[in-house]
Amino acid sequence: MIQFPQATNGASPGHRMPLARQLTTAVLLFLLQGATVSAQSPTPGGAPPPPGMSLAASAAMRFPQPIQVGDLLQRIVIEPVESQSYLGKLEQIVRQSDGSLAALITLDGFLGFGARLVAVPVDALVLLGNVVEVVAFTPAQLRQLPSVVPGTTTPVSLNEIIKVGLAKPSH
Amino acid sequence: MSFRPVKRPNSAILDGHRPLLQSLERRGLIRGGLSLGALSLLTGCDMTRPQSVEEALLAISRMNDSVQAWLFDPNKLAPTYPASMVLNPPKFNAYYDVMDVKSVDGSNWRLELAGLIAEKRPWTLPQINALPQQSEIIKHICVEGWDYIGQWSGVLLRTFLERVGADLNAKYVVFKTADDYPSSIDMATALHPQTLLATQYANATLADPFGYPLRLRMSTKLGYKNPKWITAIEVTNTYQDGYWEKLGFPWFAGL
Repeated sequence: MIQFPQATNGASPGHRMPLARQLTTAVLLFLLQGATVSAQSPTPGGAPPPPGMSLAASAAMRFPQPIQVGDLLQRIVIEPVESQSYLGKLEQIVRQSDGSLAALITLDGFLGFGARLVAVPVDALVLLGNVVEVVAFTPAQLRQLPSVVPGTTTPVSLNEIIKVGLAKPSH
Repeated sequence: MSFRPVKRPNSAILDGHRPLLQSLERRGLIRGGLSLGALSLLTGCDMTRPQSVEEALLAISRMNDSVQAWLFDPNKLAPTYPASMVLNPPKFNAYYDVMDVKSVDGSNWRLELAGLIAEKRPWTLPQINALPQQSEIIKHICVEGWDYIGQWSGVLLRTFLERVGADLNAKYVVFKTADDYPSSIDMATALHPQTLLATQYANATLADPFGYPLRLRMSTKLGYKNPKWITAIEVTNTYQDGYWEKLGFPWFAGL
């Protein structure tokens, strides 16, 4: 970080720079900092699976990492775009009838009203630090998923270790 | 509306760089050309900056590096945190997507040494793991604005440099990596008591995306200064740009 030292007794009036010059330098330092922020990550992360590739195959390419189910709950779920749009919260990991894992995510709603649960395959999710991204469904596709009726799913134990892929920030 | 800081920066800090600033002014950069550069940076537009403006900005960046190096306290420790705050797995980031990560075979991997080092024989992973180990829970802070707390274990870079007979009075320690992400740091930071050659995260072997088998972790610099998948270390008095420095990022990048 740019650090401006506090005024010390080393500055004599005879050597004081004009205010305009001081400010010019300060602005330069500020702008330089701005340039570095905008230059990071030239390639986006969180890209959807290539056409024709299965979710499982796509997830396997994202270096799935072990994580305890309990550590995933209540994590924010976002869209993999630069604006990191909020989609909902991860409420539960469930085992589906075919044995695959899905995450129950709250969608929509406002101030706690009108939200509904949808089941998204874990292979469609990636970890981005402490948040979760949905990389294989657009927000429109998510909203077309049927609602999950509470009590009709098989929750996975909070102590169970599952694997979730990774992504780099989408900016 | 005018900009008037409550507390003005101390102008004495710029005395050492007065000739540079006067030179820049003589060329009319600050008064003229930089306004275009400033506009493009502020708006995020992809405007082409004149070469002279780029050079001026880089000169300011180098001055900033010098000031940060001067302010750096080699004995001051960064904050540490309890194990309960560790994010596991950590956050992945690189200049490419995770699907492009190339795993390194630890059994064939060797750490090459070069430059001002007395014993330049390559090191294997078991040999590095046999060195005294240290663990630390520190914050990783990215220039992009995000951060997380992580637990890293490995050998202190200072211990390693001492063991191989490196010239600890040299200016720089340079790293080469398997993903072509060169980086260099100042010797003072290399010898800092929280600068690690990390081989573990959260008490487990580093996973492939996070730099297996060996990466650098410093508590005193921004995240992009911590190369992963290290393959070679050089001690030198010759400055070498890193990956992001070549693109205009600050070299010192202190916290």
